[in-house]
Parts: sequence; structure tokens; C-alpha cells
Amino acid sequence: MLESIVSYGLAVGAVYAMIGITYNVMFTASRAFSFTAGMLGMLGGVLGALFIDRLGLPAIVGLLLVLACGAVMGVITEIVAVRPVLKSIEQHLYVLSTLAFALLIAQFTAIEWGTDAAPFPRLIPIGEGLLDQKFWIPMLACAVTVVGLELLYRKTLIGRAFLAIAEDAYAARALGLPEVRLRLASFALAGMIGSLAGFAGGEMLLAFFGNQSILNFYGFVPVALGGMGNNRGALVAGLLLGLFQQAANFLVGGIFASVAVFVVFIIVLLLRPEGFAGASGARRV
Amino acid sequence: MHLRWLEGRLTFLLLAIAAVGLPLLDDSYAGVIATRACIYWILISGLNLVVGYAGQIAIGWVALLTLGAYTTAVLTAGTVTPEISPYIALVASGAIGVVAGVIVGLPALRLRTFYFAMTTLGFATIVTQIALAWKSVTGGGIGTPGPVFPWPFAPGWGFYYFCLILAALCTWMTANIASSRFGRSLIAIRDAEVAAEASGVAKPALLVTVFVFSGALAGVSGGLFSSLQSYITPDAFTFDLSVLFFIAILIGGRGSILGPLLGTILLTVLPEIAAPLVAWSTFLYAALLLLIVLLIPGGIADMLDYRNRRPLQQHREIVPQPALLPSLLDRPAGGALELSNIALAFGGVRAIDGLSLDFHSGEVHGLIGPNGSGKTTTLNVISGYYHPQTGQARLNGATLPFGAPHRRAGFRIARTFQTPRLIGGASVLENVMIGGTIDGRGTFAESLLTLPRHRRDERMLRERALQALTVVGLETLAGVRADRLQHSELRFMEIARALTLRPAFLMLDEPAAGLSAEEIRRLGALIKAISRAGTGVLLVEHHADLIFDICDRVTVLNLGKILAAGTPAEIRSHREVVSAYLGA
Amino acid sequence: MSITRRKVLAGSAAAAGAASLASGLASPAIAANEPLRIGFLPALTGPSSSTGVAMNRGTLLAVDEINAAGGVNGRKIEIIVRDTQSDATKAVNAIAELTSRQKVAMIWGPLNSGETLAATPLCARAGIPMIHPCWVDTLIDVKKYPMSFRSAPTNEQIGEAANHYVMDVLKAKKVAVIGDNAGYATATVAAYVPLLKKKGGTVVYEGNVDAANPDLKPELLRMRDGGAEAIMPWSVNAGFLARILNTRAAMGWDVPVVGQTTLGSGQTKALLDKPENWAKVYSNNFKNCCYAGDGKLPALAADFRGRIAKAKIDMNDTLLWWIACGYDAPKLIAETVKAAGDSPKDITAYLNKLKNWPGINATLTFTPEQHNGVPDAEVVMCQANSLKDGAFNLAPGYGA
Repeated sequence: MLESIVSYGLAVGAVYAMIGITYNVMFTASRAFSFTAGMLGMLGGVLGALFIDRLGLPAIVGLLLVLACGAVMGVITEIVAVRPVLKSIEQHLYVLSTLAFALLIAQFTAIEWGTDAAPFPRLIPIGEGLLDQKFWIPMLACAVTVVGLELLYRKTLIGRAFLAIAEDAYAARALGLPEVRLRLASFALAGMIGSLAGFAGGEMLLAFFGNQSILNFYGFVPVALGGMGNNRGALVAGLLLGLFQQAANFLVGGIFASVAVFVVFIIVLLLRPEGFAGASGARRV
Repeated sequence: MHLRWLEGRLTFLLLAIAAVGLPLLDDSYAGVIATRACIYWILISGLNLVVGYAGQIAIGWVALLTLGAYTTAVLTAGTVTPEISPYIALVASGAIGVVAGVIVGLPALRLRTFYFAMTTLGFATIVTQIALAWKSVTGGGIGTPGPVFPWPFAPGWGFYYFCLILAALCTWMTANIASSRFGRSLIAIRDAEVAAEASGVAKPALLVTVFVFSGALAGVSGGLFSSLQSYITPDAFTFDLSVLFFIAILIGGRGSILGPLLGTILLTVLPEIAAPLVAWSTFLYAALLLLIVLLIPGGIADMLDYRNRRPLQQHREIVPQPALLPSLLDRPAGGALELSNIALAFGGVRAIDGLSLDFHSGEVHGLIGPNGSGKTTTLNVISGYYHPQTGQARLNGATLPFGAPHRRAGFRIARTFQTPRLIGGASVLENVMIGGTIDGRGTFAESLLTLPRHRRDERMLRERALQALTVVGLETLAGVRADRLQHSELRFMEIARALTLRPAFLMLDEPAAGLSAEEIRRLGALIKAISRAGTGVLLVEHHADLIFDICDRVTVLNLGKILAAGTPAEIRSHREVVSAYLGA
Repeated sequence: MSITRRKVLAGSAAAAGAASLASGLASPAIAANEPLRIGFLPALTGPSSSTGVAMNRGTLLAVDEINAAGGVNGRKIEIIVRDTQSDATKAVNAIAELTSRQKVAMIWGPLNSGETLAATPLCARAGIPMIHPCWVDTLIDVKKYPMSFRSAPTNEQIGEAANHYVMDVLKAKKVAVIGDNAGYATATVAAYVPLLKKKGGTVVYEGNVDAANPDLKPELLRMRDGGAEAIMPWSVNAGFLARILNTRAAMGWDVPVVGQTTLGSGQTKALLDKPENWAKVYSNNFKNCCYAGDGKLPALAADFRGRIAKAKIDMNDTLLWWIACGYDAPKLIAETVKAAGDSPKDITAYLNKLKNWPGINATLTFTPEQHNGVPDAEVVMCQANSLKDGAFNLAPGYGA
């Protein structure tokens, strides 16, 4: 039982952590939370099944295509739902525009793909039982993402440019950094991470349009608990969430497991609105 | 002077006539749709105050519909409790709605927008899961039958009239709130929270009140919903419904009653007309929402707001009338406000380092210094936004507590801001009326029902605000939307808002920024007159001429410390001040 | 207050909106050659739509056949379809429209219990007879809804048939009963467990699990530890059912799975890890639609299958009994109106006397006291992995 909780928990937790990181990357680029993180995850699974199962492409090609689609989705999100809203005085409109956009894509998927969960292809035929590749593919993907982002932000110029526009967009622009292009690139990156999460987790979560709302919420919990924009926090919180959820499923079962997660989430947020590792908000006067 | 909600009165009347006359068409299908629209509107009218006015992104509101529906259904079914009359059950649903509204709403006080939106979604899911799991009460997946109301409100046209009456009542009540100081305070919290606090609006209490009211409406709506459906199961309360409620308000336009009402009717009727599109209905809702947000964030209400599209007079001049001040500020003089030994550090940065300052009634005290010297920070400390590590603020000897900015208005301390904080969508008059919020005596309930005290408050506030606008010279623009004003007019509008509080102490943060030379001159005369009428003025400014013209005393800050203090003449020739700031 | 043009426009728009909603085609009295209007409420889109899509095919086929043969006493059938989108709210709206504005003679549907629970009272108030294929027991109540008939088995009949197979044919005494946490499943599990116990069975596991839960192993382990000799899953969620079967195979546990129809559906099959995982799985079906011991369908069904093929209806992703069920209803309605006329009273009186009506899906009998039309004996279990052209073999051990 314990091994089951650990394998499933860490694997699904890795997916949640990656969605959390998707939120974070979009947030650091625009100071806006986008409702599209769950949508990207859902598309990763659905498009993966489409390319590999229905169209018969090899897994690697499917993966690359999915990443490309994710990047395109991310870019479209920025252009359609984020950029126009950032210019207006009413900052919180991004909540609505990204929600609307995510709903649009989800409904379209439901109508074209179908409302039932479709199977996701087995990616690599190795591993048995609890060591099956469907468990450690998400963990691998998550590790690659986290390490990759760390290297990007700290070691490369473009990564540091990302951080600069997140920190202070005006100053960055004054220094000549192309703010819009960098933000586009950030959203493309977020799109890739989100769709990678859905693709890697596809064998567990199946290709299902309803994954959008599931991932939207469960992917947000790591962000809330780990602190906005804090990827390490999202990683830890995501893995813990996966383990907690599976343990609850096993011990309590069914309905009460999801209620448990929500209740814990709300209580933690009320006690520490900025999360365990987050910083308090900046000056507003 | 008309406030926006009154504009649609004719439309309301026409809607009412159409609604009352509907049974004449003898089409019970239209009756079902119209009843549904009324039920949704009862919920949406309350949610409108939360989303449209207070600006809280409460997406998971279907949870309250669910709770209200099950409460009424279970109580009238007689399976768990003895059978209760549907009317009493409806009241019980309202009560449950109140409790749930507070539970859902409380996080709004602590959480940012997006986080709060997520918690409402989580709450909606929890409620559905509980409805599924608690089989013994709710019937679980099978569900439970809804109540049947007795004659004269029996299913069919009788029930339709019942819902219509309640819907009309809700329209009236929410419209009353909208045009009361509570409605204005809600919008102020949404668009100009800092200014709202400075005017004495207590956000927590007001938000909780609104969530209580809104929750009650949603609960009642749920009870009616269960009767219309005849039978409820957890699957009937979909996320799509939450989206519908939300979009109706957004399409209608925030800060309006008529807009969301039209939006509700539109969204209820649309799927029936566009039958072949029914599979795409949620897709279309989402597309509609996206278009609204991007293109017409103001919604239908904005589209209908022809009055605010009439061109304004060009080359307007602001002509203050300081002579009218004494009748506005007709109250005893305030005394003295002093800061002693304030030290405030942000992380490693010492913003203020041992500052002692005072100003009193009847004087204009200038505060100048280079950028970053701590001028605005000083104002913010006095306003109570910051908690200094050491030092005290005292008003006539009594200590002023820090960290409670909304209490300052009670001490008659008013201020303006470096960047004007305004409610763009409201009229200039409404913006200014916010200044006098704390002088309203009526409660939320009295405003709900437009009882006499509410009417007295409104009259008083409107008169006072008009007076203040006349004093600053903007009375001709009273009915204009604030976001159409020029920058200089906004600065004067902020002063009018501050004056509406009839302040003992007025703090001005760079009011001359962006003004023309003539406007600065008039501003100076106005400020001087304000002080001579008994108010103590603390003026932060960069325009040296203005400072030296009207100030009685000047303090110079540099790097958080006082560099010099004294009369304008002394400061002007002070060597260090000249070298650090003024230049030769 | 001045009345501006804008306000009049806005007000008129509102009034016009209300009027357009209210104005339907004025319906004249139904004359001799007016079409016979039947309202049909399938869920063609939304979560529970696979049955709806299939039944819709059967219904449309029946209507085409009847109309091609001259209609009902010379009147053509006009079937008015309203997609409920698996939403009870839309079902209520649609019933109102069909009964009040379209003036249908009878309602066929809705096809999902949740929608029918809400639609039945409204239809009864409108005084229009209705027939539906939903299973929830409480849907039929001859006293409250005297004009409401059911052309499918009740949940209790389904449960009894499955329980009978498990305990009397497979001779399993210790049973595990599992469902997901959707409406149908929670109600069904709660209803069937007492039935099992009444038959003398021991329920070693009873639970409802989140359908999205990727790991059902803890549940199956608990079942195995409890000594379960059969697993009875009750859920319409193909993903959930497939996971049960896959987990059973991964554990190497050779226990029979006996339960909901969807166990035998194409969707479930698609989600299996290996085709072998479909062995020893038995799901509900109808005797009239199953291959008997000799591998052949009953005559009526075989003939029907031929007609389906000629109408080029795709049998790949669907079940024969769904299409048959969709086909039977308009046929029955047409026959009823032909014999008795189209007034609600006449239709109800005729149906109340219906005896052994030879439907392709089921042989229907109604009495004034019994509006559940399907006989117990026709509710059987079939072998899931014998799916061929939309029909299955009878489960082994029945002997007929």
C-alpha cells in the first residue's frame, strides 16, 4: 500500500508541481495569474493521444509536436488574453480574460474530441507494476523542468532578462530589454512546460477534457502554498500534495479525499495568504 | 442630479410591464423561461453587489444556489425533518445562504483576487461533493424532489408571479444600495481602495455585510430553483451555471443594476432561441466573455450610457470659489497634529530617520525635499498605512494608532494622493460624495429599504459634495464620468473629496503636479483659504514658488531626516537646503 | 425625467425580446392531416451522451420507416428533437416548449434519469403522456404520474438480474460492490447492497470512489483481502470501469466482474491495457438482443439488424439494444395513436391495456397499476468480450 501511495503520489504530484511552475512562469512574466495552466496540461494529454494514437506518429515526434503546440498556445494566450488587459487600469481583468480563453479551448476540445476520457498511449515499454514508466516519466519531466529553469534563470542572459522584466518592467525597458518579446517567450516557455506536464502524466490522467479544471485547481495549490513565483516552493508543495491526495484516497477514500484537499488548502491560505515560502505584497500606497 | 441607476427607470418600467403581461400570451413555455430568468436574477442581483460593485471575483457562486436548493427541498420533503411550509423553508434557505456567503466571502478579506477566485471554485466543488455523499439527507445521487408552493403561487403562472415579485423586490433593494453610500463605498473599494480607506470606509465590515446579503439572496434563489425544477440532483449544479451568473454581470457592466438585469435575461433566453447552437452554448458564453473583457469592459451598461458620450466643453477652466469655504467647513477648529521621533525602515532602507513634525489649524505647513527623502512616506505614516518602528503621532495630545488607516477619517484627517485615486466609472459627484461617507448615519438595512434616515443621509451628502465641488470650481462637471476629466481637474476633484469630510487636518501630496501656472495660482489661493477657514494643511510639493507663496512654515527633508525647518524666508536662504535641493 | 430615444430603444428591445420569446407559431387544432408531433429529448452532447446518440439513431430510423409506409392513419410523424445536453435544466425548458408551444401528442425521453426526474412532474402537469427508458426506480408512480410509462427495466430489476447471476449461476456468496461517486453510481450501490443481503449474500466491500482516481489498487486489494468471489461495479464511467479491469489483471486476480452495461461498451474496451482483461466480465443486457446458445440473435433482432445495415447505421461504437430501444418507442407510439387516437386520455387507456407488445429490445406489458413495461425474465447478463456487431453472447450458465 505504501509503495502504491508513494509511486502514484510522487508521479501525480510531479504533474501538479509542473502545472504550478507553469502558473509561476506566466506570473513572473506578467504579474498576472492565468487560468490557462490547467488548459495547457489538458491539451498535453489530449494532443499527445491524438498525435500518437490516432495519427500513429512515434512517441518522440508526438512529444515534440505537443511541446510546439503548447508553445503556440502560450503565445496566443499572451497576445489575446494577457497583453490587452495589462494595458488597462483594471489589472484584475486578466483573471476574466484568461478564464474565458481557457473555457473556450476546453469547450472546443470537448466538442471536437469528445467528453469521455480517451486512453493515452504507453510511451516506453519498460517497467512493471509500481516501477512502470508511467510513474517515473512525470517525475523525470518535472526534474528536467526544475533544473532547466534554474539554469536558465541563473546562468543564461535571457533567463536573467526574464527575471529583470518580472522584477521591474519599466526599469527593464529603460535598459533596453525588449519587454514584449521577452514576455511572449516566457509564455511560450510556460506553454511548453504545461503541455509537457499533461503529456508526461497522460498515462495516469488519460486524455480527458475535464482534466483542465482538475489541473487548474490542483496545479494552483502548489503555487498558493509555495509562494507566488517560487518554483522550488511549487515543487515541494506539489509533491507533498500528490502524496497527501493519494494517502487520503487510500485512507478515507472517494469524496472525502477531495474535500480534505480543499479544506486544507483554504485553511493554509487563510493562515498564511502568501504561502509558506512567499513574500508579502509590496507597497500599495 | 441623477445617479446612473435612475437613468434606466423607463427601461425598468417597460420590462415590468412586459413581465406582468406575459401570461396574456398563454404560452407556458415562455412562463418557464421567464420564471427561470427571475430566479437567476434574484441570485445575480446579489452577486452583482459582490462582483460588479465590490469587484470580488467570486466564480463559484453556484455553491450557494446548491445549498439553498437542497435546504428548501429537504425541509419540505419531510424525510429528515417534519414537513415544513415551503415559505418557511425558503427563509431557511436564505439563512443558510447567509452563513455560506460569509464562509465563502471571508477569504476575500485576506486573499488576493486570483487566490480568492480559486477558493470559491474549491468551495463550489466541496458543496457538490457533500450533496453527493450525504445520501441520508440529500438523497445523494438520486436527488430529492423540490417543493410545490400552494395556491396562489402554484406551479405555472402563480409561481411565476411569486418569482417575479421577489425579483422586482431584489431589483429595488440592490438599486437602493447602489445609489447609497454603501454602493459608492463598494465601488471605491474596488477601484480606489486606498482612497476609500482614507475616507473612512471599513472594508471588512462592508464586505461581510454584502456577502451576507448576497448569500441570503442566493439561498432564496436556490429554494425557488428547486421548485421550478421539481426535482434536484447534484448534477444540475454545474460549473457552467457559475460561469453564466458571472458572465451576466460582466456583460451587463460592473457598477450597474440594469446592465446585469439585461444580461441575465439575455443569457437565459439565448440558448432557447439558438437551438442548433446548444452544444456550443458554453463555448459561446466564454467567447462572449472574452470579447466583453477585451473590447467593452464596461458591458451593456456602458453601451447604453449615451449621456457620457456627449462631448464635454473644450477649454474648460477651473475657477475655485474659496469664499464659500466657511459655510462648508462650518465646524470647530481642530487643534494640532504632531509627529515625534518617527523612525521607519523598509528592510534595510531607512525611509524616515528620527522625524519630528507638527502642524495645526489655520496654518499651511510645507514639506519639501528631493525625491526619496521621505515626504510621501511621512504622509503615509500620518495616514496610518505604515507602522513606524519608533515614534508616535498625536492629535491634540491623544495618541493616533498606526495601522488603521480607515480610522483617520473619524479624526477628521483627510488627504489627497500623489496619483489621483478615482473611480473612473462613477460621476464626479459620486466620487466626491465618498469623502463624506463616515457622516452617514443610516445602516445598510435602512438603505436597502430607502428608509427616511437613508434619504436624509443622501441629501446631506449630495449637498455637501456639491458645495465642495463649487468651492473647488468643478460644479459644472458634477454629473460627468470621472475618467473623462483632465488631469488637473482630477487633482481638484480629490481636494473636493477631502473637503467633503470637513477635515480638521488636510494633507496634500503634490497637488500641483501637472497643473498650469494659472491653475497653480488658483490652487494656492484655495489652499490658503482652506487653512484660514480653520483647517490645518500639510502640503507636500515640488513647486518651490507655490510653497514659498502660501506656506506659513516649511520643513525640508533629506534622506529621511529633517534638514531644516522654519519660515519660507529662512528656508529660501538656508545654505544646505539650497545646495541639496533648491539650487541657486 | 426626459424620455430619450435611447431609453425607448432599450425598453422596446426588452419588450421585443419578451414578445419574440412568447410568440410561437399559432397552433391550429390538430386536424386530420396534420402531422403527428412527438417530442424527443435525447442527450446528444454533454457527459452522458453516448446512449443518447445511439438511441437517436434508432428513433430516427423508426420514424423514417413509419413515414415511408404512409405514416399513422395517413398522418406523417414529425419528431421534434431537443438536445438536453445531459442537463436537467435544459430538459425542463424543453418539456415546457414541447408541451406548450409545439403541442406534441406524446413525449419520448429524456434518456437520462437525472433529467427525467425533473421532467416528469412538469410533463404530468401539462397533461401529456410520456414514455422513457430510464432506470431509476422512483421515476414511475402510477398515482402521481398516471401518464408516465417506462420502456426499460427498473434499477431494481437490473440489480436483481445481476445478483441472481452472481449468486445463483456463478454461486458466489461473498461479493464486492463498487461505484464511482456520480449520481447514478451512489444511488445504485446503496440500493443493490440490501438486495444482495436479502438473497443471503455477504457484502465484503461496499464503496464509492472518485472516478478520476488513477489508482484503484487499494480498493481491489481490500476486496481480495475480504475474500470477494465476484466484483460488481455500478458506474457509467468507462474510464473508471476500465481501470477496475486493468487493476484486476495487474493483480493477477481471476475474479468475475458482473455489473453495469457500460462494462461491455466500446469505450471501456478502448481503455483496456490488454484485450485479455475483458475476460470473465458480464454486463446487463436484454434477452431479445443477445446471441443465444446457437450464436444467433432472436428473429426480430436479426431482422432489425439487417434493416440497420441497409440504413447504413454505424454499429462500431454502439450497442444493438440502445438502437433497438430508440427504435421501439416511436413504433409503439405510432401503433398506439393508430389504434386509439392522439388524445392523452386515449393514449393512456390504450397503453394501460398493452400486453406482450413485441418490441425488438424488450417485450412490453403495462397495466393501470404497473407502468414498468419490461418483464424480469428478459433482463439478463451477457458476456462482455463477445461483442460482435453491437451484440453479445448470453452469459454462460443461463441455459436458454
